[in-house]
Amino acid sequence: MLGYVFAGIALGSIYAIAASGLVVTYVASGVLNFAFGSMAFFLARFYYYLNSQEGWSQAPAALVSIVLAGPALGALLYLLLFRHLRLASSLIKIVSTIGVSVALPPAALLLFGNDTISTAPGLAPTPVHVYTIFGAVASLDQIIAFGCVLAVVLIGTAVMQLTKIGLRVRAMVDTPAMTSLSGVNPSAISLGVWMVATALAGLAGVLAAPSSGLTPDGMTALMASGFAALVAARLRSIPATVAVAMGMGILTDVIQEWLPVNSSLTSAILSSIPAFVIAVFLIIYLAFSRQVNEAASTGGALDRAIRPQGGAADIAKSGASTAVVAARTGWSPYMLGPVVVIALVALLPILLTGYWLTLLGTGLAFSVIFLSYTMVIGEGGMIWLCQASFAAIGAIGTAQLATVHGMNPLAAVVISALVATVAGLVIGALTIRLGNLYVALVTLTFGLLADTLIFTRNAFYQEGLGVQVSRPGFLLSDRAFSYFALAVFIVIAVIVVNLRRSTTGLALAAVRYSEPGARTLGLSVLSLKLLVAGIAAFIAAIGGGLLALNLDSAVPTAYTTFTGLIWMAVLVTVGLRSIAAAVLAGIAFTLLPGVFQTYLPAAWGNVPTLLFGLGAVLVAMNPDGQVAVTARQLQTLVARVAERRRGAGTEPPGPVQPEIAAAVQVPGLARKAGR
Amino acid sequence: MSDPSTAVAVTTPRLRCQDVTVRFGGVVAVNSVSIDIPPSRIVGLVGPNGAGKSTLFSVLSGLRHPNAGTVEFDGADITRASAQHRARLGLARTFQHPEVFGGLTVREHIILAHRVSTRRSRIWSDMVTARGFRRADAEENDRVSSLLEGLNLTRIAEQPVAALSLGMTRLVEIARALATNPAVLLLDEPSSGLDSRETDQVIEVFRLATERRGVSLLLVEHDMSIVLGLCDQVHVLDFGVKIAAGTPDQIRADPAVKAAYLGEEDPAEQGEVA
Repeated sequence: MLGYVFAGIALGSIYAIAASGLVVTYVASGVLNFAFGSMAFFLARFYYYLNSQEGWSQAPAALVSIVLAGPALGALLYLLLFRHLRLASSLIKIVSTIGVSVALPPAALLLFGNDTISTAPGLAPTPVHVYTIFGAVASLDQIIAFGCVLAVVLIGTAVMQLTKIGLRVRAMVDTPAMTSLSGVNPSAISLGVWMVATALAGLAGVLAAPSSGLTPDGMTALMASGFAALVAARLRSIPATVAVAMGMGILTDVIQEWLPVNSSLTSAILSSIPAFVIAVFLIIYLAFSRQVNEAASTGGALDRAIRPQGGAADIAKSGASTAVVAARTGWSPYMLGPVVVIALVALLPILLTGYWLTLLGTGLAFSVIFLSYTMVIGEGGMIWLCQASFAAIGAIGTAQLATVHGMNPLAAVVISALVATVAGLVIGALTIRLGNLYVALVTLTFGLLADTLIFTRNAFYQEGLGVQVSRPGFLLSDRAFSYFALAVFIVIAVIVVNLRRSTTGLALAAVRYSEPGARTLGLSVLSLKLLVAGIAAFIAAIGGGLLALNLDSAVPTAYTTFTGLIWMAVLVTVGLRSIAAAVLAGIAFTLLPGVFQTYLPAAWGNVPTLLFGLGAVLVAMNPDGQVAVTARQLQTLVARVAERRRGAGTEPPGPVQPEIAAAVQVPGLARKAGR
Repeated sequence: MSDPSTAVAVTTPRLRCQDVTVRFGGVVAVNSVSIDIPPSRIVGLVGPNGAGKSTLFSVLSGLRHPNAGTVEFDGADITRASAQHRARLGLARTFQHPEVFGGLTVREHIILAHRVSTRRSRIWSDMVTARGFRRADAEENDRVSSLLEGLNLTRIAEQPVAALSLGMTRLVEIARALATNPAVLLLDEPSSGLDSRETDQVIEVFRLATERRGVSLLLVEHDMSIVLGLCDQVHVLDFGVKIAAGTPDQIRADPAVKAAYLGEEDPAEQGEVA
């Protein structure tokens, strides 16, 4: 038992270091770092490169990778990206950090080599010395991990409580706006915090590598544990975060004494502990306060006053704030843009053959999945990170119903999508009282739970091969399938556009920008969010089903939650609220890697993922994505040409006129008052 | 204007709160406050910062439930009713910090408010019909244009609200509230951020809405000259407790109000007091 406790303390120490890194960046800069796992992987991979590939000993390798490269990476990312995010919306913050998380692993593989690493050393010299304490064994790696967390806590507490820098950091945590008005440069403090936090990511990554594996997935599990501790501490308290992280680590090892050894159930339970911790704490918080919102976690009154509501900051940033926007209702000539794009895409099945035609069909299935992001995030403003799980329900459900139960494949797709819709509605109802960031974390948790507890069941997994599924007879050729997928995309796209341009679309936008404003206007926030949740889950599952039909099998590992984050990064890069962007992103997502694999050396295989990640990073500068930017440029050009033809400039909006018109002469205004 | 004290005495209030109490932990933000808002009357609610005015507004509009007390609309108990339900009954409000929909244009704000008040259950019909591709009907256009014109918002009708100044944003919020055809309108510091011309304009709009359309107004305002010049009745809060109520003249003369809030000078001459 004591051996399990020692191991648990070591694991808890690593979790605590990771959680500390996450919480300090959140409270000091308002950014929940979804790239933490990738940062840990990048720096741990650098440590492995120096130590194992270049033959450096542990101390200099750790010094260079953690103490020097860690802060340097943090400074670079802060200067390039994170400093732009303080006043950005939650969506932009999350998507940008997800972009970094997508870009860093391929960057590491390009820089340090593409080798598969089965075992990675920690900070202890190999072979790792083992000590016997009170009759139980503890390895030097475990002792070092515990020593590291002690050092982090003691040094951190001393700096925060006893130094002038600590005072400034604490002031900024309470209210960045007031701190900056006191003559303190918040950017300099944030820069320092990001440098320290990235070094902590590197330290956690190096310490975790011997037990969790030196893979992006292993580091992602580390990050998930940090998130769980962070949620338990309501995104604010550093001591509470460290305490929960330690407790989670000890729990993870201690319960193994009662679980069967080498069982898939044991593995699933252990990897689900962070998700359960998140769920338990959120339920407790909701039971006590009915609402859990991150807005109260950071900043003072002035910070809350300047904090963006809905997408206001994004609008201002995108340049749309000064533009006269096209009518959202009725027919608009700007609707021709997507029509032209889709018409051009419709030519591709004729022009492409063989391998490229197969890729096109896959891309069009992805386009359908991407429309679910357009719906849930673009229209609903709900940051759901589990769309891949709904696609998995569609794919796996289609394969099970069609192959195992002999159902018509297309009927199987629709029924699977209805199952996903129910799941979407349940999650929508459960997250209705949560703030954006908590919604992102809960949906991420749901996705991870589905990955580990459901989709890896061997009935679906089939030793990694998945369940085979055949297309219906009339879709056997790739050309026919491509046209079918495009037709499905068009039907769903028309529904999405119709909804966007209807009263419901206006209401969705209203809820996105101000829930109190929407509620006091008479809008049902619950109905609107459930509508979006259900439709988005349905669309994702339809896309997943199509993908399974195109690939002739449903392999669960193709639909992991973190694969879904890459999908989101791709779509955001091109444009989150655009139908044309969804179809272009889907095609780019499959054709671009195809081009790299076919025409460039194998070492360049990770470049497309790197590009997709960098594209999502750029969303911080361009929230609307490339298609929207291009469309806006075209609109401006058309407007200028029209203006020149008219020979007169547009009159700018002037001040309100003094005379009072018939302000209340709206027919029917007296209806309620007079009843 | 008729004698308000007589009207209040004989008419059922459109909106009434009785003995409303709101606590935040150990702090009593609103302590057993009762207010009646009669039909076609403008009622003022004043008090220094932290007096509990906005908290009471939240209770009246349904964004917060009281710890004790009741809220009635046309005699029906709506204490536990949602904000959405109250809005459907005819209760509209504006906010101290305008809660507008930044990405929507001014016109879209009015269209949405108008449609919410005139049409029910659109979600499913919007899903299955091609309504999004059709132009709005002429009657709706007329009504929306008329309201935009009334508040002189026509020139900026196609601009996203995120691009507007605070004063213009407040006008949009007022226009949005009026577009719901309210029976009762709760206005939280409507003149804040407006210049004197815009202030005169909205005061005239409020007066017309009350006199011609029978809308009842509850007005929270720091500018005492507006409150005392516009309201039929005024309630004064201090630290969550109602310390006075009456006509503007009675409030001017009330020694408790003078001591706690207005000081010894004539409040009408004081203007901005907080």
